[in-house]
Amino acid sequence: MKLTINDREYEVPEENPHRVLLWVLRDELGLVGTRFGCGAGICGACTIHVNGVATRACLTPVSTLAGARIRTVEGLSTPGPDGQPQLHPVQRAFLDVQVPQCGWCMSGQMMSAAALLERNPSPTPDQVVEAMQNNYCRCGTYCRIKKAVLSAAQQLAQETKPLTQETKP
Amino acid sequence: MSDAVAPKKSWRPTRRQFLLGLGVGGVGALALGLPAMRLAVSRAVDEGLVPSSDPLDPTLWFEVLRDDRVRLHLPKVEMGQGIHTALAQIAAEELEVPWERLEVVHATTAHGPVDKQGTSGSMTVVGLYQPLRESAATLREMLRTEAARQLGVQASALVAAGGTLSVRDQPEKKLRYGEVVAKHTGTWEVPEHPPALKPAKDFQFIGKSMPRVDLEAKLTGQGVYGYDQRLPGMLYGATARPPRLGSTLRAAREGKARQQPGVVEVLMGSDFASVAAESREQAHAALAHLELEWTEGESLQQADVEARTTVKDGEGVLVQEEGDVPEHLGRGKQLSAEYRTPLAAHAHLEPQSALVEVKPERVRVWASTQMPGSIRKQVAKALERDEESVELVPTHLGGGFGRRLDAKAAIEAARLSRATGRPVHVGWTRAEEFRHGFFRPPTHHVLKASLEESGKVLAIEHQQASGDVIFSLMPGAVGAVMGADFGAWRGATIRYAMPHRRTLAQRVELPVPTATWRGLGLLANTFAVEGFMDELAHAAGEDPLAFRLKHLGDDELGRRFRRVLEAAAKQAGWGSAAPEGRARGIACSVDMNTVVAQVAEVSVESGRPRVHRFTCAVDCGLVINPDGATAQVEGGIMMALSSALSERITIKNGQVEAENFYDYPLLTMREAPEIDTLLVGEGDKPLGMGEPPMGPVAAAVANALFTLTGKRLRSLPLKL
Ligand code: FES
Ligand code: FES
Repeated sequence: MKLTINDREYEVPEENPHRVLLWVLRDELGLVGTRFGCGAGICGACTIHVNGVATRACLTPVSTLAGARIRTVEGLSTPGPDGQPQLHPVQRAFLDVQVPQCGWCMSGQMMSAAALLERNPSPTPDQVVEAMQNNYCRCGTYCRIKKAVLSAAQQLAQETKPLTQETKP
Repeated sequence: MSDAVAPKKSWRPTRRQFLLGLGVGGVGALALGLPAMRLAVSRAVDEGLVPSSDPLDPTLWFEVLRDDRVRLHLPKVEMGQGIHTALAQIAAEELEVPWERLEVVHATTAHGPVDKQGTSGSMTVVGLYQPLRESAATLREMLRTEAARQLGVQASALVAAGGTLSVRDQPEKKLRYGEVVAKHTGTWEVPEHPPALKPAKDFQFIGKSMPRVDLEAKLTGQGVYGYDQRLPGMLYGATARPPRLGSTLRAAREGKARQQPGVVEVLMGSDFASVAAESREQAHAALAHLELEWTEGESLQQADVEARTTVKDGEGVLVQEEGDVPEHLGRGKQLSAEYRTPLAAHAHLEPQSALVEVKPERVRVWASTQMPGSIRKQVAKALERDEESVELVPTHLGGGFGRRLDAKAAIEAARLSRATGRPVHVGWTRAEEFRHGFFRPPTHHVLKASLEESGKVLAIEHQQASGDVIFSLMPGAVGAVMGADFGAWRGATIRYAMPHRRTLAQRVELPVPTATWRGLGLLANTFAVEGFMDELAHAAGEDPLAFRLKHLGDDELGRRFRRVLEAAAKQAGWGSAAPEGRARGIACSVDMNTVVAQVAEVSVESGRPRVHRFTCAVDCGLVINPDGATAQVEGGIMMALSSALSERITIKNGQVEAENFYDYPLLTMREAPEIDTLLVGEGDKPLGMGEPPMGPVAAAVANALFTLTGKRLRSLPLKL
């Protein structure tokens, strides 16, 4: 079957459609940026987007993903004009705030944050907590994650403002 | 420098070093060996700080590449503590290279300095600060001498700055480090003595919040961890686990395992049964088809764990004695209390993992481990090969916290790779981590004190009983000789200037494997001692801050305690009314010579403790990277708080009950307090930072809850 991941098509074998996306990504397709922490939907390390919605790759059978748009941390940045990857505003904010310690939870954290900002570009601190409370960070970077998500939201607001003005009739 | 003389050994690149150089887009490289570094490291080892490399191995810290980059090979692993950045700052300082030209990599056991001790105990920066400065300065001087020869000037006429050596007053006459190396022929002479080091007032990197060197890779999902390692043609391995603690394989038959889809090999030894398959799921699924008989194992229950972990009065080993406690404990107003802490898991988010490729001529192991040297040895032993033929490549770690001192995954993968002739990756599941690793030991504490009329403590005694911490990692004889496990009593002694004080530590041997957990005994012991200190303050009718201050000595430690206590109290608004429905608690500790004071601000929500704010003042000496140090405070507080409020491993019918996070929830962003960090230290040497900030956390919260509710909580996790 075909999977569409980060705007690219991947062919994965049909047999055993029950296997979950996490291991297909990591072990079969080499997209190791999506991490494993519990395999039970609790820690959030494996968070990816399915059609823009934050989803646990460890609980998602590939058979349910035909025709879906899958986005992983590898597709969070976009190719810039010079061919160099341009970091997503969430990635930039996580870098500016120097959020990660060990970093293992970070792909999941950023995917949860990016999904939040896509549906709610200017969340309140409480809404950030609401959206991020199912992502564990054992290194304890929660204050910084919160700060970074709020700052990414501000950044996004600034970047899109001129655009909206231009498109005004 | 000591009287040891650095050998004037000519240095030639080894094959591996050469390969490394060529690996960088065809850019030629030249590496510089530094026997002086090795000597410096050995000196540090004498002081019990960091290990030395085998003196016969060429030691290699730096490579100067022809394109002017400098690669620093670090023997300590990065698990989130930010040491690669701090060490890069220290190196860049003396080497005079621009920040962006310095590149940091993990040394492997085949290239770079070998670390036989591992990364633990908050000792990395403490131990390497001086040797690394000396090494970097030595390298800079070697480059200067060579540049002077190439330019035909006196070495003293050259100024080193920004990775360039230029002639003073003739700045156009200059050579970049890469050029010096490229034009050099022959061998490099290592000077006998390290040159003079930069005075602190000239520091450009030390003391600055330089950005972490490893974050971009981690934020773009690059495969830098052990679980991510891949090789063409690799297989995945899984190993059967016993049903209970202490149970071992009595008999093993393949059953139908080999016929399962994807299975390539079924491997059984006297004490293990493993499967290698084309996919991870297939390997795990096939385990159920093995026919295994296990010995009965333990029938232990949680109540047994607690009953065994109980102080037997007067039976511990004396680890601190000042004055005459037995003589004075019965005088004045007497108080006593008992405290308890449970078994706890590390819950590092990346379970242990390793990729191993066994070939006839050599073995390569990529593993997320805190102990590359010891894991290499264990793999060599499991494969019955010479250690020299095993290369261990440390990866980044998705958390360590003391759990990664062993790496069974590497041994399991190595056996399967040898049997199949293909590379094998083993990554543990969360259930394997919870049930088949080791834990922070449970503890029990009995504290007694006598108070004088004046409200001063005359005598105090702390008796503690704990499961093993360090003993379990050492040969049995060590425990027998030493009696008390110094890991278990870390943080247990009374550091207030009370005239009569003593601490007794009692070893409890449990059938549950226990060992190192971030800070070792620090969190548990400080919970007991500082909780009891708070009880004494209230019994004396005094403010807990004032009570602590009046018991400080007027020595250096007392002054440092005073500084952090006053700083934290002031910042937290100690003495002013807490916001409605909230109260504050204070506690302090000293660990690895770093002094910490914390104030917790708490409330009760739906019958449960809620921590809103933590204020932490730390004196950790010279701070290399303030933002990095602050991150360690934040992380340490969060981990300790999760332990204080939520975490507890329990045993039922000889098995660990928790199987995944649903049985062992960690704190989330919802419960995370605001954390205010004050770095108030001074001095010319860095002190430990990875663990000390955890010390006072549980006590500060319990003390605040007492002020708020009048209820004294003496066991973890704290439940009202
Ligand atoms: S690995 Fe998917 S939620 Fe933990
Ligand atoms: S940074 Fe280590 S788990 Fe979040």
